[in-house]
Amino acid sequence: MVGGGVIQQILRRKLHSQSVATPVLSWFSSKKAHVDAGSSGVRAFALLGAGVTGLLSFSTVASADEAEHGLACPDYPWPHDGILSSYDHASIRRGHQVYQQVCASCHSMSLISYRDLVGVAYTEEEAKAMAAEIEVVDGPNDEGEMFTRPGKLSDRLPQPYANESAARFANGGAYPPDLSLITKARHNGQNYVFALLTGYRDPPAGISIREGLHYNPYFPGGAIAMPKMLNDEAVEYEDGVPATEAQMGKDVVSFLSWAAEPEMEERKLMGFKWIFLLSLALLQAAYYRRLKWSVLKSRKLVLDVVN
Amino acid sequence: MADVEVVDPKKCLEESCKPKCVKPLLEYQACVKRIQDDESGHKHCTGQYFDYWQCVDKCVGPKLFAELK
Repeated sequence: MVGGGVIQQILRRKLHSQSVATPVLSWFSSKKAHVDAGSSGVRAFALLGAGVTGLLSFSTVASADEAEHGLACPDYPWPHDGILSSYDHASIRRGHQVYQQVCASCHSMSLISYRDLVGVAYTEEEAKAMAAEIEVVDGPNDEGEMFTRPGKLSDRLPQPYANESAARFANGGAYPPDLSLITKARHNGQNYVFALLTGYRDPPAGISIREGLHYNPYFPGGAIAMPKMLNDEAVEYEDGVPATEAQMGKDVVSFLSWAAEPEMEERKLMGFKWIFLLSLALLQAAYYRRLKWSVLKSRKLVLDVVN
Repeated sequence: MADVEVVDPKKCLEESCKPKCVKPLLEYQACVKRIQDDESGHKHCTGQYFDYWQCVDKCVGPKLFAELK
């Protein structure tokens, strides 16, 4: 009984600081003072008071807007998902073409060099030819001047803007992020990027997006600065694959996945090999341990009374 | 080769998944009707919209890549 009263006191003091329903709570406690029922009644009252206050304080909390997190993207069955699955390199090659023709005007990929593409998406000659198409600033020369020269394999992929400020200025204040690591830099990156690129839709009733932004349910908040870039046949694939929006999305995400995780194939092979070898080593170690311990484990202790 | 009208398989699959997701679609349409006369500009149907598209995405997701190269 006394314990119940103390609990009620503690609860009241604790809840007083959080609750907005203080007059209600004091009514409860004043009512309790007159009632000197059994301990179970007091405890029930204390719990009731706590419950009501809890409920009331929750109602003052605003419910989170689901647009804030963006629509959850579905899981697509990427061909490179399995434990021993490699990238679809034809898809990477097409994806690079999509990046170059559609995305490179705004998004940099400053961590990828032309030489990284050799053996992955292009032959050395093709990569050299691609690199030679761009102009790179180099220098200083013997006269102390900077000069421009055609690109080499060792050069990074070209950046569309000189710096972030220039990028923001050209895109209404929004910075088109560097895509070198984008599939690792976003939660559920591969599925998210695909869903985002192919998910431009009309906004729901009641939502209006201001001029300069576009609605995309997958983007946190719903209003993205990038317009819909993948449109059917925007690109003509070298290998003749029909360039639908979904096809281009798949290919460009394969390319971006490779760019973020070029080591993936080697990593999977290494992982498979070492997990297999270490399991064998585990079996061997377990056997050896049991062998050594068998001496002790098979001991017989005899308790003999000597008279 | 360019004469053939390319149809985006994703749009196609989304259309075919509509019958499976009639319930959230009807919820969304009911919401649209409800807020039609709203003048405050605070009412919106994002929740129902998300429910519908989540249903469609779940249906389309496993099937889409089979249609692509």
